[in-house]
Amino acid sequence: MSDTVAALRAKFGADILRAHVVCGQTVVYVSNAKAHAILAWLQQDPDQLFNYLTDITCVEYRDAERELEVVYQLRSLDRKADLRVKIPLDPDGALEVRSVFDLWYGADWLEREAWDMFGVKFRGHPDLRRILMWEGYSEGFPLRKSFPLRGHWSRAEQTRQALEANPEAYYSLEELSISEAYRELPLDVRERLAKAGKVLP
Amino acid sequence: MLQPYIPILLLLGFVVFNAVVIIAASTFLSSYRPTATKQAAYESGMPVIGDARERFSVKFYLVAMLFIVFDIETVYMIPWAVAFQQMKEFSGVLLLEMLTFVVILGVGYIYIWKRGALQWD
Amino acid sequence: MGLSPLPIDANTTHESISPNWVTTRLDFLANWGRSNSLWPMPFGTACCAIEFMATAASRFDIARFGMERMSFSPRQADVLICAGRLPFKLAPVIRRIWDQMPQPKWAISMGACASSGGIFDNYAMVQGIDTIIPVDVYVPGCPPRPEGLLYGIMLLQKKIMGETMADPSLRVEHLVGPDGLFRRPELIDEISEPFGNSVHQTRSA
Repeated sequence: MSDTVAALRAKFGADILRAHVVCGQTVVYVSNAKAHAILAWLQQDPDQLFNYLTDITCVEYRDAERELEVVYQLRSLDRKADLRVKIPLDPDGALEVRSVFDLWYGADWLEREAWDMFGVKFRGHPDLRRILMWEGYSEGFPLRKSFPLRGHWSRAEQTRQALEANPEAYYSLEELSISEAYRELPLDVRERLAKAGKVLP
Repeated sequence: MLQPYIPILLLLGFVVFNAVVIIAASTFLSSYRPTATKQAAYESGMPVIGDARERFSVKFYLVAMLFIVFDIETVYMIPWAVAFQQMKEFSGVLLLEMLTFVVILGVGYIYIWKRGALQWD
Repeated sequence: MGLSPLPIDANTTHESISPNWVTTRLDFLANWGRSNSLWPMPFGTACCAIEFMATAASRFDIARFGMERMSFSPRQADVLICAGRLPFKLAPVIRRIWDQMPQPKWAISMGACASSGGIFDNYAMVQGIDTIIPVDVYVPGCPPRPEGLLYGIMLLQKKIMGETMADPSLRVEHLVGPDGLFRRPELIDEISEPFGNSVHQTRSA
């Protein structure tokens, strides 16, 4: 058990739910309400300095009693220490946590993936839309246990949806890297970009 | 009198015949099946954004024009060199004439250099 | 006909020439030229693409078959070799690239994933590219050995040598139908049915 746990309990008290060690890794469960403050403290406190966000993912267990966990894998590059922070959520309830994009910019695509695969909303994320599946994918959230392996719809329907999807339906100006040349873009591209800011379902 | 040019005429005829045969063969033997997607631009399988009509920089025209001018100058030097060789008794005058020609064009060269036309960026 | 694609609109009928000695000689010439200079468009997505590269390298050498000139633009390609698994997200891309290839064109589905979805019987993978484009030769394997791919290429060459200009069903563009599908939906469902070990994957709701 790394001493970060003790420091966390000292600072945040009851918001640290439980902690254990698995395969040499320390895992800390934190409450959703204070999760952002805890992660910010972990990043900024001079004794902790977890300045590298390795991964954000979610895990839903087959056991219906267990909760859906949002997992943050942190690393301190200076201290060469790892920490895993988990936020347990009710799998049937509202899946919403606060985004850590303001702390680590790498959370941008990591949170998009968690949204795409599990349907966990990240409040405060600048551009929460699908990343692995295509923009208009409406079959559901594939890695949930309630989502069948082969998808809800028939193969013919999935093929039809796939062929109709436009791979370029949504691009932000940053991704197209043409924000300076906006004035010179053709009209249809400008219209499409002007509709940006709308998250497609 | 024009005897040595007959092979060139034959070659020209053959070239024209070859081109016509190739185009005619591909017109009759090809399977031309145009569809809308087939005639759209290729963007790695993505639907096309915008058209390919971009504005061209005028620098290309400028470089091409300057090249032509100085290339013609070189072209004029070649028959002068032949004449120079044949009229060795006037060599001093001929050299002076060519140098005058080069200097006149050199003034033009210095002008475009100072105006920055040779600067690409 | 089992796997026949949806016909495109009825206006695109082509007259068929009556076969005679001249057409058979022209056929032989055209087919010989086409089959021995197939320029592949390597649509390599995954592991099979590595085997395709190995086939193109010096030991197995598809230059022997006139295929060393890879065309990464569909405009100059004769045969689309789909080497690797195809996600649904990539389906409109391969469809568009297939549409942009000019006739005559053929398709080789290389590997188990391109032919049937392979081990990826899930929500994200196309269960065989023949649900999206017409395929001429299927090369099984995961991945197929270079000899396997070469055998598939030789089969395609035999198929091309058997073609004739008097056949009106050849060189026809089979487009995606108005309902957005290339094959009948029942057929897509039928050929996407799980088989083998897939039937034991019971995690479906």
